[in-house]
Amino acid sequence: MSGIGSALLMQGSIRTEGGGGFTPPGPADFDLPPVFGGGSSFTLMGQEFVLGVTKPMLQVVLSGVLIFTFFYLASRKRAMVPGKLQFVGEEAYGFVRNSLGRDIIGSHDFQRFTPYLFTLFTFILLNNLFASIPFIQFPTFSRSGMVYGLAIMSWIIYNYAGIKKHGFVGYMKLQCVPAGIKGPILALLIPLEFMSNILVRPVTLALRLFANMFAGHLLLILFALGGEYLILEMGAAYAPVGILAWVLFVAVAFLEILIQFLQAYVFVLLNAMYISGALADEH
Amino acid sequence: MQTQNPTHVVRAAEEELNPLIPHLAEIGLSLVVFGILFFLVKKFVVPAFEATYAERTTAIEGGLAAAETKQAEADAKLAELEKRLADARHEAARIREEAREQGAQILAEMREQAQAESTRIVDHGKAQIEAERQQAVTSLRAEVGALATGLAGRIVGESLEDDERSARVVDRFLADLEAIEATGAGTSGNGAV
Amino acid sequence: MEGTLNGSLNMVGYGLAAIGPGIGIGLIFAAYINGVARQPEAQSRLQSIAILGFALAEALAIIGIALAFVLS
Repeated sequence: MSGIGSALLMQGSIRTEGGGGFTPPGPADFDLPPVFGGGSSFTLMGQEFVLGVTKPMLQVVLSGVLIFTFFYLASRKRAMVPGKLQFVGEEAYGFVRNSLGRDIIGSHDFQRFTPYLFTLFTFILLNNLFASIPFIQFPTFSRSGMVYGLAIMSWIIYNYAGIKKHGFVGYMKLQCVPAGIKGPILALLIPLEFMSNILVRPVTLALRLFANMFAGHLLLILFALGGEYLILEMGAAYAPVGILAWVLFVAVAFLEILIQFLQAYVFVLLNAMYISGALADEH
Repeated sequence: MQTQNPTHVVRAAEEELNPLIPHLAEIGLSLVVFGILFFLVKKFVVPAFEATYAERTTAIEGGLAAAETKQAEADAKLAELEKRLADARHEAARIREEAREQGAQILAEMREQAQAESTRIVDHGKAQIEAERQQAVTSLRAEVGALATGLAGRIVGESLEDDERSARVVDRFLADLEAIEATGAGTSGNGAV
Repeated sequence: MEGTLNGSLNMVGYGLAAIGPGIGIGLIFAAYINGVARQPEAQSRLQSIAILGFALAEALAIIGIALAFVLS
């Protein structure tokens, strides 16, 4: 269980060496030991947490530094005819600003939210891409805590924007009372709308990103370790299957890059839609 | 089954791990990093990009306006030049026309003058000829009368002493002579003129 | 090995639960592709609606995976 497996995980995984049978990858592969620190630990909800700086934490900080450095350099020159760096920066910014901000929130309000959406998109995209960048190869957002933070923030922002515009009662009415429906059926619909618009949204927002990153990375570990196991442990008869698994690993890795982009896009798109829904005029 | 024991132990430990339960430090860290990044982006990156967009828009619009004025200027200049050219052509045509007219006029004048001069010369010649002829006729009449009378007196002798009769004979002779001369002058006068 | 099967039955349940959202997402994008094929100029409008529908349908699958981990 060395080679690709440990290269993929960088930290090595908690699993038994030798013994009988193949140990499939599981949630333990995402619970990396601390890089430094990690003397004491505490228990929360039946889970033991080690206090220390882990790899995803370093990745989050690294992503912040990289994003700011890149876009600061790209935007600093402000040339009328952009160079390569500025062009890339402007394309990324223009993509978020126009197709996510302006087209969905509407030209009246989108300027206020452009910095937020742009930061969110680049932050999620780079942290997702970390899963495919060699020598990092760990999706930051496969740690649920990272995603919960962003989801809570999104929830606060779109609700705050709505309450600020319509007032608390007006906003609740906007979100919970469906238009054009009267009578006792409202008693059924209002709690349902409240559930789906206020309570479930942040949960699905967080879990969508988390689950995609988690499952995608799990799939990659499975193909890598499974292929390795088939080639090294099962004997020559299974070697072609192991090689096929590795070929599939490459294919799935490319699919993952697509999914990483798509999840960042969907996360920001849904943020923009929730904001636009919260800012919508009363119907 | 004995060999599987270690795997089962690990499995039991793994199943206790619930990936959905967050690490509190991660929630805080992601929010803090995102917050710092957000403020940096909002302060430095977005204004710079927006300013670039705005500048580019104004530059393009300004460039378009400048190009439009330039175009208008060029059009005006071209129109003016064309007008000047047309004027010049017109002028040239006018001058040419005038010159032709003048030439024709001069020519006509000259012709008229020449005509008049020739007429005058011819008339003058005619009058002189007439005068000379009259003179010749007068002198001839006198001489021819005297000659004829002398000749006839010599031929007929003294019978012609009667003056009255001789005058009658001379007159009749002269009349005859004139009639002959008139017909002869009519035919020969055509050739003289 | 030797005929034993390890793992959580929760995950089998999740696999079954994911069928519904899978079909739903397929229908959503089928309709989206149809719409764009008929009226390409409506693509930008349809896209956000399609992604919204996709997100709603996927929410079910996400709730499924959450429950698969939570209920044990």
